Amino acid sequence: MGERLLTVEGLSTHFFTYAGVVKAVNGVSFTLDRKETLGIVGESGSGKTVAALSLMRLIPDPPGKVVEGSLLLGDRDLRTITDEEMRQVRGNDIAMIFQDPMTSLNPVLKIGNQIAESIILHQDKGKGEAWRMAAELLDRVGIPDAEKRVNQYPFEFSGGMRQRAMIAMAISCNPDILIADEPTTALDVTIQAQIIDVIEEMQQRYESGVILITHDLGVVAEIADKVMVMYGGRTVEYGSIDEIFYNPHHPYTWGLLGSLPRLDQTEKTRLTPIKGQPPDLITLPSGCPFAGRCGYERPECRDQWPQLEIVGPDHGVNCWIPEDERREARASLPHFQAYVR
Amino acid sequence: MPERDTSGNQVTEDLTISTLSELDLLEDKYSGRKPLGLWADTWRRLKRNHLAVVGLCIIIVFLAVGMTQEIANVAGVNTGKPGTGYLAPYPPNAVNYELSPKGLGSPPSWSHLFGTDYLGRDVFSRTLVATRISMLVGVIAVSIALIIGLILGPISGYYGGAVDSVIMRTADVFFAFPYILFVLLIMTVLGPGLWNVFIAIGILSWASYARLNRGSVLSVKAMEYVEAARAQGASDLRIIFRHVLPNTMAPIYVAIAMGIGGAIVTEAALSFLGIGIQPPDASWGKMIADYLTYLQAGSWWMVTFPSIALTVTVFAFISFGNGLRDATDPKLKE
Amino acid sequence: MLTYVIRRLFQLVIVLIGVSLITFLIMFAIPGDPARQLAGKAPTPERIAVISEQLGLDQPLYVQYWRYVGRLVRGDLGESYSLQQPVGELIRQNAPNTIQLALAAVLIELLGIPLGIYSALRQYTFWDTALTTTALIIWGIPVFVLGVFVQWFFGLKLQEWTGYDMFQLTGAGENVLWIFPANWGSWSTLILPAVTLGLIEVAYISYMQRASMLEVIRSDYIRTARAKGLSERAVVSKHAFKNAVIPVMTIAGIDLGALMGGAILTETVFSRPGIGLMIYQAIGARDLPVVAGGVLFATIIYVFANLFVDIGYAFVDPRIRLEG
Repeated sequence: MGERLLTVEGLSTHFFTYAGVVKAVNGVSFTLDRKETLGIVGESGSGKTVAALSLMRLIPDPPGKVVEGSLLLGDRDLRTITDEEMRQVRGNDIAMIFQDPMTSLNPVLKIGNQIAESIILHQDKGKGEAWRMAAELLDRVGIPDAEKRVNQYPFEFSGGMRQRAMIAMAISCNPDILIADEPTTALDVTIQAQIIDVIEEMQQRYESGVILITHDLGVVAEIADKVMVMYGGRTVEYGSIDEIFYNPHHPYTWGLLGSLPRLDQTEKTRLTPIKGQPPDLITLPSGCPFAGRCGYERPECRDQWPQLEIVGPDHGVNCWIPEDERREARASLPHFQAYVR
Repeated sequence: MPERDTSGNQVTEDLTISTLSELDLLEDKYSGRKPLGLWADTWRRLKRNHLAVVGLCIIIVFLAVGMTQEIANVAGVNTGKPGTGYLAPYPPNAVNYELSPKGLGSPPSWSHLFGTDYLGRDVFSRTLVATRISMLVGVIAVSIALIIGLILGPISGYYGGAVDSVIMRTADVFFAFPYILFVLLIMTVLGPGLWNVFIAIGILSWASYARLNRGSVLSVKAMEYVEAARAQGASDLRIIFRHVLPNTMAPIYVAIAMGIGGAIVTEAALSFLGIGIQPPDASWGKMIADYLTYLQAGSWWMVTFPSIALTVTVFAFISFGNGLRDATDPKLKE
Repeated sequence: MLTYVIRRLFQLVIVLIGVSLITFLIMFAIPGDPARQLAGKAPTPERIAVISEQLGLDQPLYVQYWRYVGRLVRGDLGESYSLQQPVGELIRQNAPNTIQLALAAVLIELLGIPLGIYSALRQYTFWDTALTTTALIIWGIPVFVLGVFVQWFFGLKLQEWTGYDMFQLTGAGENVLWIFPANWGSWSTLILPAVTLGLIEVAYISYMQRASMLEVIRSDYIRTARAKGLSERAVVSKHAFKNAVIPVMTIAGIDLGALMGGAILTETVFSRPGIGLMIYQAIGARDLPVVAGGVLFATIIYVFANLFVDIGYAFVDPRIRLEG
C-alpha cells in the first residue's frame, strides 16, 4: 500500500447519561494506509460507528466524550487540534458518507448546492465553478443526465442515486480518507453491489484510504484489504482479509462467518445465528464483552481483558483460549470443515 | 433498523449512537433495568420534566378541590339545600356591608385571606367555590367532545372512502370557525347557563379529537392483529372499538390535557364577556369581570386572586400536556 | 403544485358552503322562533311579523337557505336591530382598527422566532430554562387577565409614579391610509392591546420554534453538514434555519388570519372599537344578526388566511412545489 495516513491508538469514547456511563468504544487501535481499505465489522452496538464519529470529532458533547486515545492524521493528533483546524479536516482530508441517504441529505436544498458547498468551503472556488464541478462529480459517480440532476432535490433521486450523490459530495474535495458508514444497509440488494463498485472506483481514482463500516461480511469480502472485528466497544480480532476469512481465531468471528448463508447449503439447513443478546454497554464486564455468548468461556474471561496475541503476519486476536484449543474448537464447527486450512 | 438473518428473524437491534435521540433509545434499553411497559417508561421520562410534574401536582389539587366542592354542592353542605352547598370558611354569597366600607371591599387580612369584595363577601371562599365550575367545565365539556370525536374518528379512519371524506370535511368546517367566536355564536343563541356552556364547548371541540384519532387509526388499521381479529370473524364494530381504538390513545391523552385547559379558559372568557354561567353560580371568569372596575379604584385583591387561580390552573394543564407529549414522543427526547 | 392548489381550492369551496350552512342553521333553524331571535331585545309583534316576511321564514328550510346564500353573495349580512344599520356597514366601519391591531400583534409575535432559535441552540443552559419556563407561564395567562393587568400597570400605576399620562387606555385614535395610526394618541391606543396580544403569542411561538429547531438540529442532514466541515453558524443558518422556521411561520400566518376576525377579548378589555367589540356589544343587546354576521366575516377571513398559508407552505417546500 502507500504511505501511512492514519494511526489510531487506544481510542475510548464514553457517553455520560442519566442512566449511567455508556462505554461505546474502549481501547480501539488501527491504522490506515493510502489506497488501503479497512473493513470495520461488528453487529449494531459494537461501537464501530461511534469510533468513526470520534475520528471526525462529531460526537455530541454533552453527553459524549472521547476520553482517551491518540488519533494521528499524518503528524497531527485530531484530538488536540483546534476546532477551526478540525473543520478544515472534515470534508477535506477526511470525508464521511452515512447510512441513510434519504435523511442525510437536506430536503430543501438542491443536490448541486449541497455538493458545491464543500467545494466552495475547502477549495476556494466561486459558485459558478463549484456547481460545474458538482455536475462533473455526479457524472463521475455514475448518475446519468448530471447537468439536469444537479439542480434537483434529494426527493427526486432514487435511493441508489442518493447514495451516489453522497459519495460525490464526499469525494468532492479529494479527501485522503473516506469513511463509509454502512453505505449499503439502507439500499436494495441489487443496488448494493453498484454502490460498492462506485466506492472502489473512487478509491482507485483518488488514491484514498477507505474505512468501510458494516455488519455485512459479504461486502467486506468484496473490497476490504484488512478487517477489524469489533464487539462491545472493543477490537476482538484484526487481520488481513484472507487471514480473517480463512484463519479466524476469535469465537465471535467464527460466529459471524458461520451465520453467513452459503451456496452449498441445502435449502433445508437452518442458518446459525449467534445465540444471545448484545451486551449492555453501561454494565460491561471488565473482561471480554463476549463472555456469556461465547460458548467457550473460561473463568478469567469476565474479569480481565485478554492481552493481544499475535497469531499471524499482521493478525492479532484478544482471547483467553489458548491457541491449540482454539484450533480444535474451530475445526469442529460445521461450516469450517469445507474450507479452513 | 432491526437486523434480520436470512430467515427473517430479528437477530439484533439497532444501537448506532450517532444522534442524541438514538442515544436515548439506547439508554432506555440498556440502563440495566428490566424492560418497562409503556406507562412506566412514560412516567419515568415525565418525572424528569420538573415543570410537568409541578403541573400534575397542581392539577391533582385543583381536581380535589373541585370535586370536594361539587360533592358539597350536591349534598347541600352548610346550607341544608342540595344544589347550593359549599365547603369554605365563609358563605360565598353572604353579603356583609360592614366589611366593605366605601363599597370597595377590604384588603387581605388574617381573617379574610384574599380580602372581601365590594359587597363584603369573602374572596377566598368565592374563589374556592368557583373551582367547582372550572372543574365541571373541563371534565364534562371535554367528555362530550371525546365521546363524539372518538366515535366519529375511528369510524372515519377505519372505513375510509366516502364515510371518511364526509366526516373529515365536516371536521374541516368546524375547524374553519375561530374557536371562541363559534362558541360565542352558539351561546348567543342558546342563552347563558352552565349546561349551555358544557354543550357549546363540547360540541365544538370534537373535531380535533376525531382528526387526531383518525390518523392513528389509519396506521393501526394496517397492523397484523387487526387482520387476525377479522380472520376470527369479529364484527367491524368490535374490531374498531376493542382492538384499534385502545392502541391509538396515546396522543389523545395529551390532547385531553390541553383540551381541559382550553375548556377552562373558554368558560372563563365566556363568563367574562357575560354570556357564560349565571348567578348564583360563580366562576373565576365572572369574578374577574365583576371586579374589573374596582381595580382602577385601588382594590386590587378582588381581581388578582381569581386571576392567579385561573392562570395557575391553565398553566398546569399546559405544562403537563407538553410534558406528556414530550414523554411519549419517540423522537423528541431530552 | 398546481394539483395541490386545485385540490385545496376545491376543499375551500366545500368548507365555505359548510360554514354558511352552519351559520344559517344556527340563525334560522333553532328551536324557538327565529324571527323573535332576530328581532333583538323586546321585539314587538309587528316587528316579528315584518322580519318573518322579509326573510321568508314560513318557507321550507332549503328555500330559506338558498335565499340566505343569495343574500350573502350580495354582501347582505342582515341588519342590526339595536343599531339600525346594515351589518355589512358596521363591519366596514370597524375593520380598520381590527386590522391595525392584528398586524401589530403579529409583528410583535414574530420576535418569538429568534427567541426560540436562541433557546434551542443554548439548550440546557440557564437562559434556555429561564426563557422556556417564562414562555410557558405567559402562554398560560388568559389574554383578558393579562389585558386587565397591563392596563392597570401601564395606566394607573405608571401615572401614579410618573404623574404622566402616557398611554391612552381605551378607545382608538384616528387613522391615516386606512390603517395607520395618525398621531401619538392613536399609537398609544394601539400599543397596549398589541403588546398584550403579542406577548402571549410570543410565548407560544418561541416555545414552538424552540421545539422545531431542536428537532431539526438532531437530524441526520445536520450531521452531514457538520461532517463537511461547515462552521456551526453556517450549519444553523443555511441548513437548519429554513427547515426549522417554516413550520412556525405558518403558525404566525394563521394567527394573523384569526386576529383579523377581531380579538374580541382584548378589544373588550381595552374598550377598543373593532369587530370584536362590535360583536361583544351585540351579544349584550341580543342582536343576533350582528353576532352571526361578525362571526361569519371572521370565519371567512380565517378560512382564506389558512388557504394562503397552505399555498405559501407548498410553494416553499420543494417536495410539494414540484410534485403537486
